[in-house]
Amino acid sequence: MTSQDVDRICRTHVSTGDLDPPADLLLALNDGSIILSSVVKALGEFLTSEENAVRLKGLTFLSNIVKQMSPGKINRAATQTLTNFYTSKLDEFDALVPTLETLIVLSKLPTFDDETAITVYKAISEQLNMKAYVQAVRHAVYSVLDSLIALHRKALKNLGAEFLENYVKLVDGEKDPRNLMMLFAMDRVILLEFDVEPMIEEFFDITFCYFPISFRPPPNDPYGITADDLKLSLRRCISASPHFAKMAIPLFLEKFSTSTGPTMKDLMLSIAACLPTYGAAAVQQRGNELWEGIKVEVLYSSDTSIEAAGYQALEALIATIYPTAQDVPSGLAQDVIKQCIEFMEDPEKSQAIAAVKALAAVVRASPSAGPYALSQVLPYLFTKFNRPAVPSSRGSILAAISSLLAAARSVYGAPKAKRHQSDERSLSPFRETLVDVLREGLRTEDLKLPAAKGTVSLVEIPGLIGRSEVEDLVRSLNDALLNDRDEQVRSSVVQSLLSISNSYSDIVESTTLPLLFHNLPDRAPSTSDSDTRDRYRRTLKSLTRLCVSPSFSETLFIRILTKLELLSTAPMIENSDGDDVMNGEDGVDERECNVAYSFELLMCLVEVVEEKIASKHAEIAKYFDKIIPRLHGLLVGAAAPRIGLSQPLFRNRRILSLVADLTETLTRELSIERQSKQFLDFYSAFEKGQIVTICHDPTQARGLNGSPLRHGAASAEGDLIALYASTVCSLKADAAAPYPSADAFFSSKIHWAVHEANNNWQLRFALWMITFFVNKREKELGDSLDSILEAVWVKEVVETSLPLETRCRALSVYLHTIKGLVVLRSSVAYAALERVIDVLKLSSFDPAFVNEAAASFGILSSTESRDKSREKHLSTKLLHAQKLWNYLLPRLIEGDQDAKGRDRLPYLVAISSLLPLVPASLYLSDFPRIFSLILRSLQLSEPRQRTNAVSALIAILETPNHSTAVDQILHERAGDMVTSLLQCSIRDGESSKSSGILRSTALRCLAMIPDVIRFDILRSQKAVVIRDLGRTLDDPVRAVRKEAVECRAKWFRYGAGA
Amino acid sequence: MSSSRPLDNVNPTIFAPTSASSSSRRPKNARALLWNDALDNYELDSSEEEREEIDSQEIFDLLRSITDPEHPVSLEQLRVVNPEDIHVAGNRVLVWLTPTIPHCSMSTLIGLSLRVRLLRALPPRFRVDIRIKPGTHQSEHAVNKQLNDKERVQAALENQHLLQVVEGCLATASQRGMPSLEVKAEEEQGSKPAARGTMPWVA
Repeated sequence: MTSQDVDRICRTHVSTGDLDPPADLLLALNDGSIILSSVVKALGEFLTSEENAVRLKGLTFLSNIVKQMSPGKINRAATQTLTNFYTSKLDEFDALVPTLETLIVLSKLPTFDDETAITVYKAISEQLNMKAYVQAVRHAVYSVLDSLIALHRKALKNLGAEFLENYVKLVDGEKDPRNLMMLFAMDRVILLEFDVEPMIEEFFDITFCYFPISFRPPPNDPYGITADDLKLSLRRCISASPHFAKMAIPLFLEKFSTSTGPTMKDLMLSIAACLPTYGAAAVQQRGNELWEGIKVEVLYSSDTSIEAAGYQALEALIATIYPTAQDVPSGLAQDVIKQCIEFMEDPEKSQAIAAVKALAAVVRASPSAGPYALSQVLPYLFTKFNRPAVPSSRGSILAAISSLLAAARSVYGAPKAKRHQSDERSLSPFRETLVDVLREGLRTEDLKLPAAKGTVSLVEIPGLIGRSEVEDLVRSLNDALLNDRDEQVRSSVVQSLLSISNSYSDIVESTTLPLLFHNLPDRAPSTSDSDTRDRYRRTLKSLTRLCVSPSFSETLFIRILTKLELLSTAPMIENSDGDDVMNGEDGVDERECNVAYSFELLMCLVEVVEEKIASKHAEIAKYFDKIIPRLHGLLVGAAAPRIGLSQPLFRNRRILSLVADLTETLTRELSIERQSKQFLDFYSAFEKGQIVTICHDPTQARGLNGSPLRHGAASAEGDLIALYASTVCSLKADAAAPYPSADAFFSSKIHWAVHEANNNWQLRFALWMITFFVNKREKELGDSLDSILEAVWVKEVVETSLPLETRCRALSVYLHTIKGLVVLRSSVAYAALERVIDVLKLSSFDPAFVNEAAASFGILSSTESRDKSREKHLSTKLLHAQKLWNYLLPRLIEGDQDAKGRDRLPYLVAISSLLPLVPASLYLSDFPRIFSLILRSLQLSEPRQRTNAVSALIAILETPNHSTAVDQILHERAGDMVTSLLQCSIRDGESSKSSGILRSTALRCLAMIPDVIRFDILRSQKAVVIRDLGRTLDDPVRAVRKEAVECRAKWFRYGAGA
Repeated sequence: MSSSRPLDNVNPTIFAPTSASSSSRRPKNARALLWNDALDNYELDSSEEEREEIDSQEIFDLLRSITDPEHPVSLEQLRVVNPEDIHVAGNRVLVWLTPTIPHCSMSTLIGLSLRVRLLRALPPRFRVDIRIKPGTHQSEHAVNKQLNDKERVQAALENQHLLQVVEGCLATASQRGMPSLEVKAEEEQGSKPAARGTMPWVA
């Protein structure tokens, strides 16, 4: 690029008014092939032009170049020249914006020296009249100042009073919040670093004139500056200099009488921030007046946030006047404490509670006033506690003592405490009395809550009470935990014990835990013994909370397993109907009581494990070996064949399901190696018949020969599939596989599910196993997947010689395999789905099966929460649900359109089964068609599919801001929609073609109609709807009736307001 | 809405509402006692639909959150309706209502609100009696007569102004004891009822 080029570029750009510098010019400047001065030279004639407009264009063009070019290429001479040039332009009103913007850039350059900084500063303060500019210009000026103060502070300091005088003049009168944020930051730096004392009055004027800030941001403020931002910024500013004290404190006192609400809170917080800086000498003079102001607010304010701010202010006040232990707590502190004690005369009044909090603030504030306050108030409270005027006030008195102890704890017991009980000895004289009072509180009705809180504080103050006293208090807590009937008290006591266990875990372990375990009976109480049952439930609840703590978990696990092992020997005769000898009332026998008890014991264990995993306790994996083999052993032992009617407890399927869930959760936490071993053990047990490998104790496997999955195994043995499935479901993809060939293994599982599973309960586990297995080992199975799926389809699903039930199971297996693949967006899955879509055509030949096939699309879109939480652990790829929806929907719609009459039904069933797969926003893309499909689905016979359709409708109606087109369609079809929803809401006779869930969902949807559809559209239907809803009020299910009542109330109001 | 007439009860005692869920107070059969509600997750098969009869607790839930005509608090908080004072037998329902003070002129209006709520929320097979709890109101008999006379109730509901006041009281009924933030908003809109004209609606 030559100098002619530069000339030409400059001329074209300025004359055409395109003031953005071209890229090649910037490039040339940045790589040094031309220098900035040649650009300036080329622009010369414009920069000095007589015509304002031309000069402005030249200047702006130059500014844009300086702003965009690499700052390193502007050398010292250029910096100097440009700065001088722009400084001289400060008096040109029109050119001010580009001028200031360039100065901001220049002032940040390393080549910009102190001398230049001073020149610029002087020019700004002499030539600019801030009042004449708009906000953006003022903002630019402040930005230049900010940059100067940040980078050339020393030079400006040397200017002394001259700098400060000019600064005060410049910033005076600013009102815009955006600029103020910047000014407050600069003010703070100046107040902290410059010698402001001679000018303090001027600074007081430019800062305190804003105090207290009452700013409310305009609605939809794009700048997002809140009142709190400004308040905080100003507070940092006014608390920056101790020289403010003389003027500020009188101002604060004056503001007490005029401030309310948020301003009062601001005032309190500002006092809290300023007093420590202002210093003892200045504060002491007006201390009493400040206290009077604060007192009124803390005692009488109804706003708790102002009250809290007031305590902060009080704390700052006391801390400022009595900062060290050597300061004698006379004067103000004495007055404050005396007055507070007077307010405590009637401890139940709200003023008394506030007075306690004020005293707590004093305790926190000062190492001299704090101990003095305790020495005055504690004896007073003890006397009142022992001889209360009215008995009911003891609770408040004890609460007061607890609050003071909590304040003391926050001072002495904090992690990096600066004050120590061993130095101040403020509580030592009262040690024994405190322990006595708390112990009595823990024993007394209505005093347990404050006592439990106080106990924790007392225990957590280091170096105050000894071990034996802690033991004493823990014993009292234990007593309350076991015997109190109030849930709130017990919960609070558990919390206290947990806190205490942080420092004295051995005491809690050796006293509390044995007591709790002692309260767990060896056998379940009978149905009528609800007291014992309530006690063990309470105990388990407490244990669940306590034993999440790592120090207690192991004990809990061992004790619960021991209990379960004991229970497994309980009588196991299940009463057949009519055998009334052992039946308790209501047909519940002893065995069922024991099963329920075992279930709750297990539930406690499961909850602790889940809580530990949620709070990421690292040691959880090590418990696997302590828990899982023992539980599995119990279940295997129970599954072994018995003589006669005996039904061991642990054959119960609820218990089996729960153990399976726990197995899954814990196996997920294991390392790959450990998982591989687990897989190997289960493989040996279930495939090779060595069931002993999964038992804790080899004798448990006695009586079991061969794999539980073998042909002809008893149903109880088959139930053990739950354990196998849960293990396989939780394996990571790279856990080593024990089998020689993945496809043979997979095929054998498919065979078992289709032909061997005894019932749906077993089938469900087998299906989950299949889904997870293909999902995690898709690569390992590779091409064989295609042929396996084909084999299942051809040989079982569409093999009409097989019984329908077998074919349906095979179909279920087929779709569960697809489910594991479709979330990986595998092409095999989509191809396999084609077969299911094709079969929908055949409804006239094989109606029962085709209907089943259509409904089986529901497998791909689970609605149950338990299924969903399990599905979270599948490996997935992004947007798999959308892809599946977009793949299936057009095909199903096409099928629906090609079919005639009743043959269309399967397509509708399929679509409605798929609806839960995607959010409502996806329906909106093809709304007219999908909406009419949903309306038609409301006529289907299966309650589940209708529920899906109604849920989809709810999702549509809930979606905010749908387009006018959607709105129009909704209004056009509103009548049909209401009629169909009414049909879904009403239970007709005893027919099984309805369900409580369907009816309550339909009623919920119907209740949304008045909010979405204009009244004039449905005016004629209102009476009918209200009449028909009358029938839903008598629904057998209470939850449905509740929805019905709300829905009907909504329709009564429909149109009434307008 | 005039504020010229002083309130009947300027400073009524307000009680804390009881827990929102009242299912715990309902008697259970032995099996339900044994298996906690929380274990529903492990329910094996829940397809059967057992008939849950309408009981006094359910009716209390319908009534508890109706707003008092004089104060923005619920009838439960004023202890105007209590679960113990509701009786159900077959197709008959009897509700005793307790006025906060014996000369309360709002009793009939409160009674009417209860009546309308139950008219709308209970199946038509029920016959509902609403009565003042004996000994709690000066003109107990007159109020009872008014509340249980079908024609007088009908006539009252044809009075648009009165109906609006009742609707206002019922606006909060769906909370069923649960605290709601909407209450305040409704209050501000001025929909808070105040029928403080002449004494009761008479046909």
